[in-house]
Amino acid sequence: MVKLEDLKKEATQILKSGKVKYIIGYAKGAAGFMPIPAFISDPEDAENLTWNPACVHNLTKFIVDEKKRLKKEKKPDNRPIGIIVKGCDSRAINVLLQEKYIDRDDVYLLGVSCEKTGVVDEKKLAKTLKGQRVVQIDFEDNGNFLVTTESGSEKIPAEDVLAERCIECKANFPVVFDIVFGEKIKRQVDKPFQSVETIEALSQKDRWKFWKEQLDKCIRCYACRSVCPMCYCDECVVDTISFAVEPDTSAEEKAQKIKWIEKSPNLSENIVYHLTRAMHLAGRCIDCGECERVCPLDIPIRFLNKKMEKDAKNFFDYEVGFDPDQPSLVSSFKDEDPEDFIR
Amino acid sequence: MAEEFEPRIVAFLCKWCSSAGSDLAGVSRMEYPPNVIPIQVMCSGSVSPLYILSAFKKGADGVLVSGCHPGDCHYIKGNFYARRRIALVKGQLEFIGLEPERFQMSWVSAAEGKKYTEIIKDFVNTLKPLGPQTKLRRNP
Repeated sequence: MVKLEDLKKEATQILKSGKVKYIIGYAKGAAGFMPIPAFISDPEDAENLTWNPACVHNLTKFIVDEKKRLKKEKKPDNRPIGIIVKGCDSRAINVLLQEKYIDRDDVYLLGVSCEKTGVVDEKKLAKTLKGQRVVQIDFEDNGNFLVTTESGSEKIPAEDVLAERCIECKANFPVVFDIVFGEKIKRQVDKPFQSVETIEALSQKDRWKFWKEQLDKCIRCYACRSVCPMCYCDECVVDTISFAVEPDTSAEEKAQKIKWIEKSPNLSENIVYHLTRAMHLAGRCIDCGECERVCPLDIPIRFLNKKMEKDAKNFFDYEVGFDPDQPSLVSSFKDEDPEDFIR
Repeated sequence: MAEEFEPRIVAFLCKWCSSAGSDLAGVSRMEYPPNVIPIQVMCSGSVSPLYILSAFKKGADGVLVSGCHPGDCHYIKGNFYARRRIALVKGQLEFIGLEPERFQMSWVSAAEGKKYTEIIKDFVNTLKPLGPQTKLRRNP
């Protein structure tokens, strides 16, 4: 089990010694049991740190933001940033290292084990508890969660309330870390691509029906893009305004800028947006499921990325986020790559 | 009488081989269906997935990406990158429910004018029974 006291002690110590600039972790939220991301720079505030199955966020995104901020500063403080990473988050760090977006010295990784389980899905939890308000949720041994509601506490088997991605998780223990809390136990995953396979098993007509319905809902709020630690491009292909507009740029030039994807939330544009995003994340997405969690319309965006992950594994034997030194998926090839679809 | 459906195919042809191959088919007076809109690209490896999706979005009934045989790439390894990328795009398009026949890839060298005509003939024949592509099209 992760001993929260140890985590707090280590956090206080590294903050006091000035080893890290600040620590990004989880703290108790203002409303409800869901924790919020916390930026802690005062050693005394380290008391607020928390770790429980409701810590769903992938904090790696903030490292990317910080890196962007540092580039603009005149005298950047280049001390490392302490960050609490789960198994999936640590794989995101590995991908960022692989792409040379960050250096290993930029971060001080405080790894936490998911204790053979994972994090909760808020909606599943609400369904299981039938509307009772949750006050606190904690890890228990033997793959259970201890849920404290207003009317008392009860043990719930983790499988019932685990987030979808955690059921298919390949690393519930950090793969890269400086210091780690909790036990290194790997959960057996029998079907790592079960969700994708269920959709693949549908007929072509049904698959189209499913995706048409789902992608038609998209309002193009770009929350999925904003929350993704891998969507760090300064210019995105969907932003037609992101080309340099200077005082002498004529209206005609602006109008003639290639628009690959129109802004209007039509089905055709939504499909191109989501497929392009999935392609850009091929071999990079570590399946932290944040895009799906933040989606206001509950589009199962994760499936598109998971499909890419599955193809990368089956066709090219490529696994994301375990080795920061491997070449990236689409900028490498093997002689024996499949070509049976080519005439 | 209703006119027979004529599919529109957008073909991304590598400048160094497939495009020359289609040229050979032309100068040799080989006959093949006029349904194809050729777009010359510098290498099959330069075909971004966005090109393919855009073609479908703008109303293509089928998309063909054609490059040099493995090992023959003018840029040494461009077609190997293409092979990997196209495999992923193909998987993705099938996954969302587009007919897999609508997107094809081929290796055509500069000497294979005959093969090029056959590929186009077969492509048109497979597309005809499928009818117009309306799934990815803007304003179907």
